[in-house]
Amino acid sequence: MRRTASLVLLAFAVFFTALSPLMRFYAFPRLAKIPAGQYQDMVLEARPATLVDYGTMKAKKVPEVTIVQTLKGDVAASDRIEKTAGRDVVVWDALSYVAGPDGKMVSQIPERYIFDAHSQEPVHATGEMVDGDPVHRAGIEFKWPFLAEKRDYVYFDAQTRTSAPIHYKGTRTFHGLQVYYFEQTIPWTRVPLPKKMPVKGITPQAVEKMGTTRWYTTKRMLWVEPVTGAPVNGQEIHKEELRGGDLLPGGGKVTAFAGHVKMRDDYVASTVALVKSRRTLVLLLTSYLPWGFLALGAALLALSLHLEARSRRPAGPGPAPQPPLSPA
Amino acid sequence: MRVLTATALGLAAAFALVLTMTAIGAPTGTTSPKPLLTTVPKHP
Repeated sequence: MRRTASLVLLAFAVFFTALSPLMRFYAFPRLAKIPAGQYQDMVLEARPATLVDYGTMKAKKVPEVTIVQTLKGDVAASDRIEKTAGRDVVVWDALSYVAGPDGKMVSQIPERYIFDAHSQEPVHATGEMVDGDPVHRAGIEFKWPFLAEKRDYVYFDAQTRTSAPIHYKGTRTFHGLQVYYFEQTIPWTRVPLPKKMPVKGITPQAVEKMGTTRWYTTKRMLWVEPVTGAPVNGQEIHKEELRGGDLLPGGGKVTAFAGHVKMRDDYVASTVALVKSRRTLVLLLTSYLPWGFLALGAALLALSLHLEARSRRPAGPGPAPQPPLSPA
Repeated sequence: MRVLTATALGLAAAFALVLTMTAIGAPTGTTSPKPLLTTVPKHP
């Protein structure tokens, strides 16, 4: 009976011990993925900010500029691309909508970002674009891979349509979470005019014809929760200028938009709450279950060996033999 | 021999479970009907 029990325990010990590395190194990369149908919005604000007045072509201070950023997963497109890519793919349609203090559009930039659902590597397929311009992304955008590392990453900048390093600058504590702080500075760069201009009747082609160009610089700061790779806070010190041409003769320039853009407090709180719950799920696959299974496997093996040893122990001495009865 | 059988059984069960889990995978879901926002939401 003990022999059978020790064999059953041995089978369970092997089961749990094998499950430990299988869970971490086989199941985790295949199960931890960004859902193809994810929808997420984010609000960032610059208070105060500077905007150009297109009537006078002069910069003016405004109390606030708001950036509404939406990410929406296109499941049908990801299914279609997966057939040729041979891996799980996420297709995000993104919109960065900049609104002035009156709520009217200042600029809007749509994007289509296609990436590997686990590794966050860009996947190149038809439709990848920024503001209608086809692009070929390198590096990451919006999110870091799961189990982000303390190192520089290549990060895609939608305004310049180029990728550049984003530098790891240290570990911080943010709302009770340990996060990695990253910084990227894009130097003054000439960038395309948005396809949708804020003034009716003015097209980017017309502005380009007048010889006026758009320039941009930013310091991008992101606080990334390393287990999920999700940014929990973001800020930008953002400056845009219109330069030269008939609109600004004599090589003149005017600030089109400037401000220190920060995530709105309620969105910070909701993002932190979301990331905390997702973090537990990722840790379950990478740490809690693998280590738990390993410990359970070891305990069951010890118990199995103990039972086996007891079953092999020779039987103890029996009752003392009775002295032979002597004849009366 | 019985020890080997028990070990093989445990190993096979672990592989079978993990392979089944990964084959089923996570549900992909559907595209959200919500639009890309062009107004400032009041709350998350």
